[in-house]
Amino acid sequence: MDKLIIAGRSFNSRLLVGTGKFASSGLMAEAIARSGTEIVTVALRRVDIENENDDILSAIDRSRYLLLPNTSGARDAEEAVRLAKLARAATGINWVKLEVTPDPYYLLPDPVETLKAAEVLVKDNFVVLPYINADPVLAKKLEDAGVATVMPLASPIGSNQGLKTRAALEIIIEQANVPVVVDAGLGLPSHAADAMEMGADAVLVNTAIATANDPPAMAEAFKLAVEAGRIAYKSGPPAAGRKASASSPLTGFLREDSAEVADAPKLWRRSAASFPAKADE
Amino acid sequence: MGLKVETLKINGVDKQFPAGLPQTLAQMLKQLGINEATVVAEIDGKIIERQNFAQTKVSNSQSIELIRFAGGG
Repeated sequence: MDKLIIAGRSFNSRLLVGTGKFASSGLMAEAIARSGTEIVTVALRRVDIENENDDILSAIDRSRYLLLPNTSGARDAEEAVRLAKLARAATGINWVKLEVTPDPYYLLPDPVETLKAAEVLVKDNFVVLPYINADPVLAKKLEDAGVATVMPLASPIGSNQGLKTRAALEIIIEQANVPVVVDAGLGLPSHAADAMEMGADAVLVNTAIATANDPPAMAEAFKLAVEAGRIAYKSGPPAAGRKASASSPLTGFLREDSAEVADAPKLWRRSAASFPAKADE
Repeated sequence: MGLKVETLKINGVDKQFPAGLPQTLAQMLKQLGINEATVVAEIDGKIIERQNFAQTKVSNSQSIELIRFAGGG
């Protein structure tokens, strides 16, 4: 599979994995390893000073995976910029998945605040990967602002609904000059393969892996689906058509002169009665 | 008792330090049992770099935020 390049850095995997919702750190680490990913997202939260708990970073081998902090929880540009700066102070990493979601029910990203925050962060030398609705105009404006990728949603975060935004995603993919990472709502490996076959450069998956009965196995299923989808896209899939197109030759077997494709219905009536019992040998 | 209980405002709540108020951010984290390598700190909205934790004074007039990474997508 060809490499994914984001902001000049190349990756062998086109699957980004989120670290939320795993039942344990051990399960998360195993799923990350099986997924083949090289980029994992993490969130920032206040320390619970009364209930000291484990630091998630101790379960992530940072020599193998690029940590991509997100700004989840931010409701406006100002909060997102603050979270990005905190993440940079914590890790020294200037990559950030920009996420501004004021609406708690659908967690849909705010396009105005996301663009505002992206402009500030790009000027402050961040590598910005914004999570957006599947809006082709917004994607272009963010690209003009200097973001490293665009990350349009397939459907609401954690909803497992798959590619509900297909038509808009196709336009974004067609027009983008930065990698398009389809993020959020991919519930099955087939959804991920679908996005990759459409020409998405990568996908981000969290809930579908973390909440599966067997997260490491599901992580591997997504890895294979992403690879299959990418290879299929690169191999140039043929166009879909309404009519059949025979895969086996129609001539030279039962009737020398029967391949009148234009006369297909009549051909079918004639041949129906004379089909041999063993059609394939 | 007559003794004033020393508190610091951490993550929006008044945290008591009955054994006495820590002087620096590093001392405060130690008293709270928090590994300083795993947190980011903000005092009155200003990010404190980890290498400055030992020199950064804390007082109960400040608003202290302690943040760390958690699972997220």
